Amino acid sequence: MPELKILLPNLMKRLPEFWKACGDTLLMEAWSGVIIFIFGLIFGIILTVTKPGGIMENRPVYQVLDKIINLFRSIPFIILLTALMPLSRWIMGTAIYVRGVIVPLVFGATPFFSRQVESALAQTDKGLVEAALSMGSSPFEVIFRVYLRESLAPIIRAITITIISLLGLTAMAGAVGAGGLGDFAIRYGHDRNMIDITWVVVAVLVLGVSVVQWIGEMLARKNTH
Amino acid sequence: MIELEHIVKKFHADKKDTAIHAVNDVSLTINDGDIYGIIGFSGAGKSTLVRCINLLERPDSGSVKIDSVEMTKLKPRELYKARTKIGMIFQQFNLMPSRTVFQNVAYPLKNMTKDEIKKRVRDLLALVEISEKENAYPSELSGGQKQRVAIARALANDPTILLCDEATSALDPQTTGSILQLLKDLNKQLGLTIVVITHEMEVVKNICLKAAVMDAGKIIERGDVFTIFSDPQHTVTRNFVRTTSNLSKIETLIKDDSPMVQLKPGELMARLVYIHADVSEPLISFASREFDIEINIILADVEIVAGAMVGGTVVIFNGPRERINRAIDYYKSKDIRVEVIKDAGA
Repeated sequence: MPELKILLPNLMKRLPEFWKACGDTLLMEAWSGVIIFIFGLIFGIILTVTKPGGIMENRPVYQVLDKIINLFRSIPFIILLTALMPLSRWIMGTAIYVRGVIVPLVFGATPFFSRQVESALAQTDKGLVEAALSMGSSPFEVIFRVYLRESLAPIIRAITITIISLLGLTAMAGAVGAGGLGDFAIRYGHDRNMIDITWVVVAVLVLGVSVVQWIGEMLARKNTH
Repeated sequence: MIELEHIVKKFHADKKDTAIHAVNDVSLTINDGDIYGIIGFSGAGKSTLVRCINLLERPDSGSVKIDSVEMTKLKPRELYKARTKIGMIFQQFNLMPSRTVFQNVAYPLKNMTKDEIKKRVRDLLALVEISEKENAYPSELSGGQKQRVAIARALANDPTILLCDEATSALDPQTTGSILQLLKDLNKQLGLTIVVITHEMEVVKNICLKAAVMDAGKIIERGDVFTIFSDPQHTVTRNFVRTTSNLSKIETLIKDDSPMVQLKPGELMARLVYIHADVSEPLISFASREFDIEINIILADVEIVAGAMVGGTVVIFNGPRERINRAIDYYKSKDIRVEVIKDAGA
């Protein structure tokens, strides 16, 4: 397509690299996303049930987890990226490229998602928990059959928000050699002043965010009665 | 049989040491098949007390026995099992919004095949007369319908006890009536022991035969409902009884200085309350004729409580004081409580 070559000269010359950057971003998002989902869900549940008045109230567990989450939430991600390099090397064997950035992404977004899950579960009517307990449900049943089931819609919304904020983090991770769209935009769009590349990356990210938001909202609404 | 002995439950309002006694040394026995009312103003501790029965609140001390089994000593697994035999319904119904009526009622059913669950749920929905809403979500139901579903759910595992925590307080009077009727029927049909927590005297009057009045964490009065209504001993109980009676309106009238309650010199205003189960005698006209005085009825209120009549009138006596006193003595001899409200000189 000759028009595209005129409109986006720099991008068209680097198409394979662009596709790879897109793929890398998706890869980072997917890997870290799955891990964040699992840990965040577990931590969010633990916070909910161990907090004062919770169904498995446990002050030490709650306090420790609460403080750790606050600690990691208050560290700016760009600092976390470099600070966690040794840990990343130890766990993943490298501190660069997609593999190297999973660890800081997980540490950066899990606390955020945990809080999101906590506040989603907090929306569950206390009366439902009480009713379930009165019917002989064990605390674990309450977690799975009441908390998770009844707050499915807010949890889906929490996932949506986390995926979107994670997209921002992966772009930042590009700065320390993770690859992906962020790295692509900085290297060409910013460093070499190739404006068309910046714009296309922005457009792709906007599109990605919109799609995630749309799917999330649709699923959330489907699960609201 | 539910036996509560010396139940104490404290709450810590803040981090300081000031503990609030939600329930303060309460002992209570409820027999099988009873419909037992526990009345009190909000904050009296009645909700906490009823939660001590199924250990949703664990008492700080005291013993909770259900059919001679000490609940506080059960292991967690045993407690969960025991709870399936104690149904509970709530003021806010507490149906799971993401589940249909069918799924809500099926929630507590375990170790059953799909077909067995289907049959059980349908039977329960038929029992509470709401079969047609099987596939509706709670948000599509009215308050009364929600409570019916909640009752079906509470009965899923054939409990012997049903705890009702302000179960009709969010309902309009008509719906309240129909839910109370349903509870009465279930009590008869299934031999269900029902514990009713309420701040509405109407509810107790309607379905309970026995009741306890709670105030500040203690039971201050207990017994059969008729006696509590006709002859309340404690001030709090009296206030409760008054809330359901028209006779309390007299205080408002006096406060507003209504012309209705202006006394002429020598007149005396009194509340006559029937304590006996029989108010069929023509007490007013008899006294009026017998003692040759005027007795003007300002307010009257007679109700059926536990199958017997309870009530009274507010009257103004007019006549020579000596004859008024004789009329009052006559009433007292007939077991009528006479409370002088206002006296315009002797």
